Amino acid sequence: MWGNKALVAMRLILSLLLLLSAAIPHATASSDYHEQLNLRSLHPSLLLASFNFQSNTSLTSFEQQNFRYFPRSLGQILQHANTRELHLRFSLGRWDAESWGARPWGGAREGGTGVELWAWVEAESDEEADGRWLTLTNALSGLFCASLNFIDSTRTIRPVMSFEPAGNHSSSTLDNLHLLHGTLPREVVCTENLTPFLKLLPCKGKAGISSLLDGHKLFDASWQSMSIDVKPICEPGSSDCQLQITQTIDMVLDLQRSKRPRDNPIPRPVSYEELRCDLSKDYHSHDTCFPLDAAAQEEEWILSHIFGHPLKGTCPLADDGIDPVCINVPHARHVYASEGAHEHKDESGYKRCFALSPDKDFEIILPQQEISEKSPLEQPLLYAERSFIGYGQESGGVQAILTNPSSTNAIEFVYLETLPWFMKLYLHTLKAKINGVEEDIIKEMYYRPALDRKRGTQLEIRILIPANSTVVLTYDFEKAILRYTEYPPDANRGFDIAPAVITIGDIAIRTTSLLLPLPTPDFSMPYNVIILTSTVMALSFGFIYNLLIRRFVAIDEADQWDVRAVRLKVLAVAQKFMSRFLEKRSKDGKDD
Amino acid sequence: MNVERRKVAIFGAAAAVRFLLFTCFPGLPDLLTGRVEISTPVTSFKRLQEGLFLYNHNVSPYDGGVYHQAPILLPLFALLPSSQSWPSMTYLLYILVDILSANALMKIAKSGEGGSSSLYCSPRMGKKWSGYAIAAAFLFNPFTIATCIGRPTSVFTTCAILHAISKAVVGSSFTSMFALSIASYLSMYPVLLFPPLILLCYDRRGPKQQNDSLLSFVSGNVMGVGGFLYSLFHMSYIITGSWEFIESTYGVQLLLPDLTPNVGLWWYFFIEMFDSFRNFFLGVFWLHLSSYVAGLTIRLRRQPLFVIITLLGIFAIFKPYPSISDTSLYLAMLPLYRHVFPLMRYTFLALSTILYATLLGPAFYYLWIYAGSGNANFFYAITLVWSLGLSILVADALFAVLRDEWEVERPEMRGKEIRQI
Repeated sequence: MWGNKALVAMRLILSLLLLLSAAIPHATASSDYHEQLNLRSLHPSLLLASFNFQSNTSLTSFEQQNFRYFPRSLGQILQHANTRELHLRFSLGRWDAESWGARPWGGAREGGTGVELWAWVEAESDEEADGRWLTLTNALSGLFCASLNFIDSTRTIRPVMSFEPAGNHSSSTLDNLHLLHGTLPREVVCTENLTPFLKLLPCKGKAGISSLLDGHKLFDASWQSMSIDVKPICEPGSSDCQLQITQTIDMVLDLQRSKRPRDNPIPRPVSYEELRCDLSKDYHSHDTCFPLDAAAQEEEWILSHIFGHPLKGTCPLADDGIDPVCINVPHARHVYASEGAHEHKDESGYKRCFALSPDKDFEIILPQQEISEKSPLEQPLLYAERSFIGYGQESGGVQAILTNPSSTNAIEFVYLETLPWFMKLYLHTLKAKINGVEEDIIKEMYYRPALDRKRGTQLEIRILIPANSTVVLTYDFEKAILRYTEYPPDANRGFDIAPAVITIGDIAIRTTSLLLPLPTPDFSMPYNVIILTSTVMALSFGFIYNLLIRRFVAIDEADQWDVRAVRLKVLAVAQKFMSRFLEKRSKDGKDD
Repeated sequence: MNVERRKVAIFGAAAAVRFLLFTCFPGLPDLLTGRVEISTPVTSFKRLQEGLFLYNHNVSPYDGGVYHQAPILLPLFALLPSSQSWPSMTYLLYILVDILSANALMKIAKSGEGGSSSLYCSPRMGKKWSGYAIAAAFLFNPFTIATCIGRPTSVFTTCAILHAISKAVVGSSFTSMFALSIASYLSMYPVLLFPPLILLCYDRRGPKQQNDSLLSFVSGNVMGVGGFLYSLFHMSYIITGSWEFIESTYGVQLLLPDLTPNVGLWWYFFIEMFDSFRNFFLGVFWLHLSSYVAGLTIRLRRQPLFVIITLLGIFAIFKPYPSISDTSLYLAMLPLYRHVFPLMRYTFLALSTILYATLLGPAFYYLWIYAGSGNANFFYAITLVWSLGLSILVADALFAVLRDEWEVERPEMRGKEIRQI
């Protein structure tokens, strides 16, 4: 019976394969895959590496379960949950905009600390959308080994002003699309999330630029962000639609740290011979060393040292002729590539790309070099930071400082805050100051207050910030005290508050997450509390009950309870007992 | 004329003290508003401000976890100028409410219900304080002043309860029931005062109702209270546009979802309670709170005013979100029974316990929340002491009144040692 079934299944698969192979020549024309790695040095010894993997598949073949470059596992989840557009982010660390400039991709591929997910789900009603969202989060949780299933109603919001669909949706589906957004600021992104991420790629990390990705290096970065975006793209005026999946990984690597060999990862004091001292200082001697200012010196680095292993050729599926590796350094900087690679220099003077030989390992070496020219940093649209103000575990405030660095352009943005229910926001204390003056700059506001244990707060504010100005938003909140079972095991660490999302047009930048300490009860004494409180209640109930039901008598009318009376009573009982005992003994004696 | 002048002097002095505190220490109102001993989640002025802000911006304040107070307060405070730009209007309102409460208290004292009710006349009734002394004791009680400055909405409940009693002692049951309905509508628990209050009304009923039986009198007034409450609820429904305020105001008192610390016993108990027993103990606590009503009403049938006072004392200890405002109401009513004070046995113990808790409570709260050198048990222990001190006071006053009654039966027992059997 079983054999029979298996045979039928085999035949089915074979015939499907045949069908597929017939369809492939047609499909190649409409689907493509490309990947690119961009390297950019930031500040003295940091390196930003941006990996980009993109593949398209036609929507019709996707609907027929003909996935090709689109990962099947993810595709089936999207189909099952009726998700039309998906954005998933795994991030760690803080992007230092002051010294690193604009974010990679302008912030469009960035997520808040932890895990962030937002999707447009097609559904008839809100309840149905919630159901499908639950399906989606649970399935993605399994796929990415992340706690996405903990995105429950308290962590889900429906943004009203933030986030616009990035893809093209037909107007009929657009009416039934529900945008849902969830964050897990506490989630620690780790290797177990990277492995499934790599498995979605056509070359699965075995060849091409993805072969550089290694959990040890990625999660050792000063800042890193992994993103997956799925969106439909339609040619205007035609019904031919494509489904595009873009996966990116951006990381800021500390060159010093990355070069540390894996077998000796613990930093040790540098030996005297290796110290680089400033010899011009007059106090320099054999036992005094002033560290040499290395800012003018470009650090030496080798690609395989930074990423742990060399780049293993190209991914054969990326056959669109785009150079897979680019590096943003001035042309004056010496860059040595391994044999077989062709260098293409950009006209801008700051970028060069390499065409790789398909089956050879690729290597870049940048020697140490003294160079005054640096590739320019792009200015970010907006500097945003957010912090807690106030002290004590009872209440506090939040302050967000938003600066528009542009000297000419005003910026309109939407500030979205998602707060957990135990952070009770007082909206009447919300104040916006522009350049230190309190002014009414809030154009529009959407507020959904939190409900205890049911949903979090959602606050969206649209603000227009003039050129060269700083806006400071402040508001007060109160910290709720929770039931003792609602605290995590490390209760005194605090609770993570999701980053604020600032949407400027189609890009969204994030502040860092915050750590909120809540007042804690004593976890060791539920029994003691139950006993002590009950005792106090019983005592006062006893007082009053006694007074209500007992009669008053004069003290001489009551039974005397002095020692003599007690002694007499005890004596009487003892005598009675003794006499009984003796009686029984004499009876027993007679029987013998 | 002289009498009126004394009244004006007391009220004027009380208002002046409060106004000076409001104006000379501009930070004080907000400081006291933040104190957990004064503001509870169901009475806090800051939460009222938030509710008002949402109400003015057409967001339902009951669709959130912050505002748990009665809907009628929203249009009332919306009519006032904003407390941020015109704080003195709010101050004047709270001062006025305190003076109205004191006025009602004075009327109760003047009726002499404390010493001699219609069914009972105490042999010690001559020894009493004048209405002015009682009103002054209420108005100049530090707890009352702190409550007024902290501006919780519990002062409205206090005022309504005092008015209900002051109307009951003159026999106008209709007004009394109306005031009781307002108090119950604002904070729910005063509905438990209905049995003793209706007996008080019945004992003092006017000549027109002299022939009514107790049953018909009670049923008439039950319908009255029901009617008032229904119209208040319906008005709230019209104000807020939905019935969700019921769950958000009375549901919060019944189910205690907000565990913010206060001077009561519930919050820490339900923080530490095991999840599976939470509902059971909520039931037990409410049953415990309401169980006193029947027993006290029956045992002290001849002195319904004292039943009300004792119940207010018990509520100040055992209700879900108590504050010192409830204690100040109890301490205001107790001097009406000045004549039984000599019969109390543990006044020193009770008062020093209360004083001890009053002084150490804020200190221990500071150690827990701000300094971090103490933990939650510090403040919890003080709330236990506070509750114990108050319950000793309540029980002792009850003992004194019962003994006073007993001595009418057995006058020869005056001053003798007694015991309960």
